Formats: sequence, structure tokens, C-alpha cells
Amino acid sequence: MKAARHATSAAEPRTDRELVYAARLGEMAAFDALFYRYRDGIFRLGLAITKDPSAAEEIVVDTFARAHRALARLEPDDSLRPWLYRVAVNLSYNRRPRKNVQFSPLEDATDDTLANEEGSPSTLAEQAELRRFVLAAVDVLPPKHRLVVVLHYLNGLNLVEIAHVVDCPVGTVKSRLHYALRRLRTHLASHPELGIEPRRPLMATGLRTAKPITAAVPIEGQ
Amino acid sequence: MRFFSLGCASGQRPYMAPADALSPADRLDLELHAASCVECAQALRDAVAVDAALKRAFAPLRARRTALAPGRVRMAVGPRRPDPRSGWLRAPALLARVAEVSVALGVTLFVITGSVEAPQAAAPQPRSVIREYFRSQPPFDELGYFRWLRLARPDALTIARDDARLPVGGLFDTEPAEIQSARAASPR
Repeated sequence: MKAARHATSAAEPRTDRELVYAARLGEMAAFDALFYRYRDGIFRLGLAITKDPSAAEEIVVDTFARAHRALARLEPDDSLRPWLYRVAVNLSYNRRPRKNVQFSPLEDATDDTLANEEGSPSTLAEQAELRRFVLAAVDVLPPKHRLVVVLHYLNGLNLVEIAHVVDCPVGTVKSRLHYALRRLRTHLASHPELGIEPRRPLMATGLRTAKPITAAVPIEGQ
Repeated sequence: MRFFSLGCASGQRPYMAPADALSPADRLDLELHAASCVECAQALRDAVAVDAALKRAFAPLRARRTALAPGRVRMAVGPRRPDPRSGWLRAPALLARVAEVSVALGVTLFVITGSVEAPQAAAPQPRSVIREYFRSQPPFDELGYFRWLRLARPDALTIARDDARLPVGGLFDTEPAEIQSARAASPR
């Protein structure tokens, strides 16, 4: 019975808080576990901001080096992710771009992953073109709004976590996301494949009569 | 009567719905509202389309990974320092720290209260025969010496009397009685 309980507790992954305390006591395996847990997310975030894969890797290393130096004073409530992402965002924006290096836009980073997808070449080309179009529209956004979109859609952070990362209230994050989506809607309306109607004056839409909703809006938990 | 459209009061809610920022109840409420509001219905449709396009566009990027190893971080951090919890290893650092603090405290106190002038109220010193002897001697510079001659009391001049005379060849060079009678003689 005791052995079984021990086995289940060993199978459960340790929380960030436990890993931080273990690393503070000198257990390097705990720090490595934290590194493997957040390495890819920080890399993607750095890549989305700097658009330079080698710079993104350096950001990963610098972020964890800072975390290692700050182990003694780190007190994560639940997850270390907001703290790490905030450091990574600051490092990414403070990074001076390398001279004489042409950075590819964000959409070029998808090419090597698209090559692994299945489907006819024409379908793949259409999808790639569509992705490029959407990501180019994201690149046009102001940095604050782009960061919120990247953190939400690329890194999967919810609004509260984004608020921790960008160090502002949740209402501000909502406002920025709303502004970014509205602006993206204006950009994306010019692409026919996306099915977004160009904005028309309200009086031309049938004197404000209600139109039935055609797009399915899934509700969580149903 | 309203002449100009002021927009719907639901504000940001249509664009927040696909971004999972609304509770299920709020979302249901919004959809019921959108059934009767053209603006919100249109905004909701657009928001769903934009949200789907963004999710599709970011999907390949979410699959990107890096092959970095934690050794890179260890190299960036540098060599590991000895365990600071050991008391013996911590002692030199502690002593150095105490020395630093005491020097800093001393310099601060000197800056605040110290002065290059002599202290006004000196502590009483023990009686010293040597010090009294040198204090009773006349000054060596001429001006000071003449001033001393004029200000010194007559009985103080007796200390200039050179009682001990060195014998030369077993005899005194002059009679000691003559020297004693010359009260204003120079001590030099």
C-alpha cells in the first residue's frame, strides 16, 4: 500500500514551486526539469518577437540563466511560466538586432514545418499562402497588441497570465486583444478565402435588421 | 429619439467570446443578445473567423521546438560556487564583510564628527617629569626667547642656571660661584 502510494506520487510531475525549492537546494535535475518544461515556449516567444532563431535560442539561455541567479528569491505561487515569459519578453525587446542580417518575417518560420504536412501540393500552397497572409497582418500590428496576440494564440496563455507577463491589468489585456482582433479583421477582410465580409455602412445592411448567425460559435463545456 | 448611432453597449464582448475570455453564462447571454443586434451578430461572426484564421496560422509555429540542452545555461551561469551553507567556508566572507562594515562606519563617523584641529577639552594627562622639564625650557628661536625673557618671572630664570658643570681635565673651567651670581646669563 505504501509502495503503491509512493509510486503514484513519483509518477506525478512536480509543480514549479517544488522544482524551484529543489533547485535552490542544489538539485540540478530539478532545474533541468524546469528548463525542459518551458524551453520550447520561450523559444517560440523569442522567435515570434525577434524573428531570428539563433537570437531566440540565446533568449532561452539568458532567461534560464537569470532564473538560475534568481533562484534564492523566486517564490512562484503556482507556475513559473509568467515570470519566465516576462523575462523573455523583456530580453527579446531589449535585444539589439544584429547588423547586416536580414531577418525573415514571422511567416517564413512556418515553411519547414509545412513541408512535413500531408496533402496535395496545391492545397499545401494555398494553406501556406493563407498563413503568410494572416501572419503578415499580425506583423503590422503595434508591438503591444502583437505581443498580446502572440502570447494568446502562439503560447496559449490566458488573459490573466498575459496580464502577469506584460505587467498590466486584465482589462488592459482585454482591450488590447479587442483592438488587435478588430484591426486584424479589417486587414483580413481583403482575403476572400477567410470568409470575412468587408465592413459596410450599417444603413446598407438592410436597415439594421437582424441577420441570422451562420458561423457556429461553440460554447465551452457543450 | 436617436439621430445618430451610438453603437451597441456590449462593447468588446463579441471579440472576447472566441478568445475564451467570457464565462459560459456571459457567452450565452451575448449570443442571445446577438440574435437581436445586427452589430453584435456581425462582430461575433467576424471574431470567430479571425480567431479561426489566427489559430490556423499559428498552428505550425506551435509545433516548433528547440534542441537546446540545459548545459548551455550552466555554461552561461558559470562555475558553481561552493555551498554557502557551510559555516567554515562562510567565515572568511563574513570577516571580510565585518571589516568592510567597520571601515565604512569609521569613515562615516570621521566625516560626521571628526576634525583636524586639536580637541578643545583634552583629557587630564598623568604628571610627567620629562614633559615638565621641556615645558620649563626657554624657546629656541630668538624672538620667542626674548619674549620669554621679558615675560618670565625672575624666579623662573633660575631654571636657566646650569648647575652641573662638566669638568675639564679634572678641574672646573670657571668658578661655580661666579656662574651662580650671573643670574641673567644665557642658558645657551
